[in-house]
Amino acid sequence: MKKNLTFTGILIVLIISLTIFSGCSEKKSIVKSDETKVQETVSAPAPAPAETTETATQENVSQPTETEIANEQSSLMEATAKSPISDIYFDFDSYSIHPDSREILKVNADYLLKHKVSSVVVEGHCDERGTAEYNMALGQRRAQETKKYLVNLGVNESIIKTISYGEERPLDPDNNEEAWAKNRRAHFVVNP
Amino acid sequence: MKKTCLFLFLTLFFCTLFIFSHGVDAKVYVDIDSPNFQQIPIAICDFYNKTASATKSENVGAIISDGIKKDLSLTGIFNILNNKSFLESNPSDAKESIRFSDWALIGADFLLQGIITQNDKGIAADGRLFDVARGETLFHKKYFSGIKDIKILSRKIASDILLTLTNDEGDFNTKITFVSKKGSKSDLYVINYDGSELKNVTNHQSILIAPRWSPDGNLIAFTSFKDGHPAVYIRNFKNGSEKKVASFDGLNMCGAFSPDNKKLLLTLSKDGNEEIYTLEIGNLKLKRLTNNYSIDVSPVWSPDGEKIAFVSNRAGSPQIYIMDSDGNNVRRITFEGKYNTSPAWSPRGGYIAYEGLVNDKYQIFSIDEEGNRIFQLTSDASNKESPSWSPSGRQIVYVSRKSSKSKICIMNSNGSNPRVLIENINKLVMPAWSPRLK
Repeated sequence: MKKNLTFTGILIVLIISLTIFSGCSEKKSIVKSDETKVQETVSAPAPAPAETTETATQENVSQPTETEIANEQSSLMEATAKSPISDIYFDFDSYSIHPDSREILKVNADYLLKHKVSSVVVEGHCDERGTAEYNMALGQRRAQETKKYLVNLGVNESIIKTISYGEERPLDPDNNEEAWAKNRRAHFVVNP
Repeated sequence: MKKTCLFLFLTLFFCTLFIFSHGVDAKVYVDIDSPNFQQIPIAICDFYNKTASATKSENVGAIISDGIKKDLSLTGIFNILNNKSFLESNPSDAKESIRFSDWALIGADFLLQGIITQNDKGIAADGRLFDVARGETLFHKKYFSGIKDIKILSRKIASDILLTLTNDEGDFNTKITFVSKKGSKSDLYVINYDGSELKNVTNHQSILIAPRWSPDGNLIAFTSFKDGHPAVYIRNFKNGSEKKVASFDGLNMCGAFSPDNKKLLLTLSKDGNEEIYTLEIGNLKLKRLTNNYSIDVSPVWSPDGEKIAFVSNRAGSPQIYIMDSDGNNVRRITFEGKYNTSPAWSPRGGYIAYEGLVNDKYQIFSIDEEGNRIFQLTSDASNKESPSWSPSGRQIVYVSRKSSKSKICIMNSNGSNPRVLIENINKLVMPAWSPRLK
């Protein structure tokens, strides 16, 4: 009888301590299940307003003039116009070839098959939105998917090179959907 | 018998509780990680110059205390009280004569007073930090410097204050590199964390992206197109020498250095699609870590070197994943939103900062390693990109971009106290915070 009582005593203490301890760990509020992950978004405690105006001392290191930038831009435009084969365009964060791009790629492949071409460089480009690093990878994938499509159309794989410029060489520097759509492209540089 | 047993158990139980509740480091006066943390109110008196008037230069005492104030305000965790509110100004020689109630009255939790003496060789400063509520001396130290090195002297005192109150070394003596884009040409620049000494680092006049510091502060790795195609370079920060370490077909993109400085993470597309590799810097040996027909990019090591966070679009949109450092055990940690990129692991571990798309704007978030808790750190109308933690893990540098303009900003790691580090006519992007430099 005495033993039984001792046992009950121990059990009660254990249960109480367990409850208290598990009560403590609840603070971490870990929500976890295999199928659906619950993520609670907590806004920052003090999302202070816009940035303050305090700025570091500025030594402006040789700025490019407006005309320099404009010249660069127009030479990019010219290069695009000069290329004997047309660019194709992509959706945001996508590297799948559009149905209407397939027609363009057929024409491009035809040109490459019928002319003496030593090499063609497929450049992958992105719009300015999102991360420069991710866009560099996305541009590479756009170039590679385009290359694959040309190879499937019979173009010799060994003459096609790929390069990504990510978001670094926009055709249109504006910050709107019209400009972005122009910038999400694969461009072809043909070397005779 | 029964009573003895119960008594024993209860004693043991409460002892355990006691030990648990007292496990906190007693040295820390202010818990700046607490969610209820408020900036620490501190009064910094101008140092009192005891030197005889003949050899005394004006204002040295004020210059020292101004330096301390500037350094402390850069940490983002101090509320530095205005000297005009002080009821007494000149420090007393003895602690007994300080009227702590006067300092408590103006809201100071802590008080710094100092006395300086000057001679031909330089300045001797005697600094004392007090806990106002308890009327206790927290430190009493002597500092010496040449007359030209007042800034260093101030910084030493500011470091001691931070270390005493928070048990943290802070981010003094760190630099931030960033990429400056002029038209289509980018180069790497570096600036001190306090906004001083802007310097040009590279002169590639090309595309330059993804700069990363080595943890020892000696090297910077990045991707540059200076030879017409993307290649990864490692640059010795001190002597400026550059070594091309990856120049394969297709994409060669730089990831983070390992905590032991011996390896560099890369994204290469040479095997058909973008995969993550480690490169041993000593012998340029490559090891592939990912094997998935998707974009795998932006890899960073955990501070203990055990895990790697990276971006993958294997589930259809770019999201943050974590894998073991050998490439096994890949798990996704971000599930909210369609675009989560640029992971940066807190140097103190536990949290990963990243940029995510919310309401058509990119904002900075941080998430715990298990992916259970997300904190949105920024929210105003501009896009925020490329977070990089300070060595203390208390601050984050990032890009704020609005239409074509982008500038480098710093905030506390809970999103408070955002401020501009540098802006100019160029597009300033991809900041990387250095480790503590010697």
